[in-house]
Amino acid sequence: MTEYSAGRRTDHLSAVPGGRAGPDESDLLGAVAAGDEKAFATLYDLVAPRVYGLVRRVLRDPGQAEEVAQEVLVEVWRTAARFDPARGSATSWVFMIAHRRAVDRARSEQASADRTFRTGSSQIDTPYDAVADEVAGRLERQQVRHCLDGLTELQRQAVVLAYYQGNSYPQVAELVGATLPTVKARMRDGLIRLRDCLGAGVRA
Amino acid sequence: MSADIHALLGAYVLDAVDDIERAAFERHLRECAECREETDDLRSAAARLADGTWSVPPPRLRENVLATITATRQLPPVSAPVPVPARRPAPGWRRLTAAAAVVLAVGGSVAVVQEQRVRREHTAAVTAQAAEARIKAVLTAPDLTVREQTLSNGGRVTVAMSPLHNAGVIMLAADSAPSAGRVYQLWTVAGGIPASAGVLVPGQTAYAQIVEGMSGVSDVGVTVEPPNGSAQPTTTMLADLKLT
Repeated sequence: MTEYSAGRRTDHLSAVPGGRAGPDESDLLGAVAAGDEKAFATLYDLVAPRVYGLVRRVLRDPGQAEEVAQEVLVEVWRTAARFDPARGSATSWVFMIAHRRAVDRARSEQASADRTFRTGSSQIDTPYDAVADEVAGRLERQQVRHCLDGLTELQRQAVVLAYYQGNSYPQVAELVGATLPTVKARMRDGLIRLRDCLGAGVRA
Repeated sequence: MSADIHALLGAYVLDAVDDIERAAFERHLRECAECREETDDLRSAAARLADGTWSVPPPRLRENVLATITATRQLPPVSAPVPVPARRPAPGWRRLTAAAAVVLAVGGSVAVVQEQRVRREHTAAVTAQAAEARIKAVLTAPDLTVREQTLSNGGRVTVAMSPLHNAGVIMLAADSAPSAGRVYQLWTVAGGIPASAGVLVPGQTAYAQIVEGMSGVSDVGVTVEPPNGSAQPTTTMLADLKLT
């Protein structure tokens, strides 16, 4: 299962538009890269609620989420010229920046909590099923929910605990009581199954 | 090593790796076109997980962001602004993101170290800057290998080594600090003789240390010692990571 399987790759990688009509984020990002502030404002309106929502989901603190969301959106402006449409969609690029920043902030907050309270277990105290339930309960996109339901239990836990809560794979391993290689493998094959399910949905 | 690195693909896409693993994986990506494709592919899938996280941002966020960008200089494109071939060997934005991630990661670690030694003289900051530059150089080396072991009391020690630089970076990430004002100490063992590779301060659980001259080093170890460390390990190793 952990073998690399080049043949598994399907051809829908660059077409993950989220199923919405309206202005195309890639075009907007191109204009933003050229310094177009109006295009940026339009892009902001398209992505800010999901950027803010994602950062808030990971950080679980509205004040910090606002701060990090602002950093992310300014970073989008600053680095727009570095976006490469051959590597994926514009929204996927924006959410990659948002997720990474949120996770980095969560970890540095945890590190500073470690220094202050001399305990490293604050995040790990949250039971995984509570988080998973919260996430599943709030998913507004039927398709993502449907596809997450299509994963095995361990795949779903691995993906959800890492993505929505910012856990590292060793933390996930501890939370679900699995070995590190197993968790790494479930993250990867879980994402593959998710991709196949979402890709099929977009095309339908 | 590349099989180990490759197993990180899913965790990398989910940002579930630590900074050294991230740097090592991104270096691997630059050499592996298939891995780049799979990474891009799975990242697009992972991004869809954000679909369900819609939340109304505070109205002032829009004002703040739009005000900030008018005063924020944009980065130029990486290469000349001509149409780029679809299959460039190493897309520049990723390379820069990787470099930035390492700078942030390493900067963060050094900042932690510095923060806890605020009373030190300016020379300490200069030394830290030099160490930071050196850490960056090692972590971006083309021959970087990464090994890792769990601590017996929870946490991990990771060693990233570059024979090219004859140097390594030891990163400690313990789950908890030692009790009663004791500290973590890092060791390198060469020819059966342990030498201190760095001492943490009381309460500190995370540390990144550059070690020069790794060629003769057979093990990297971690012990708990009295404040300011010991000349030789006085307790059992919490981790003993074999390098050879």
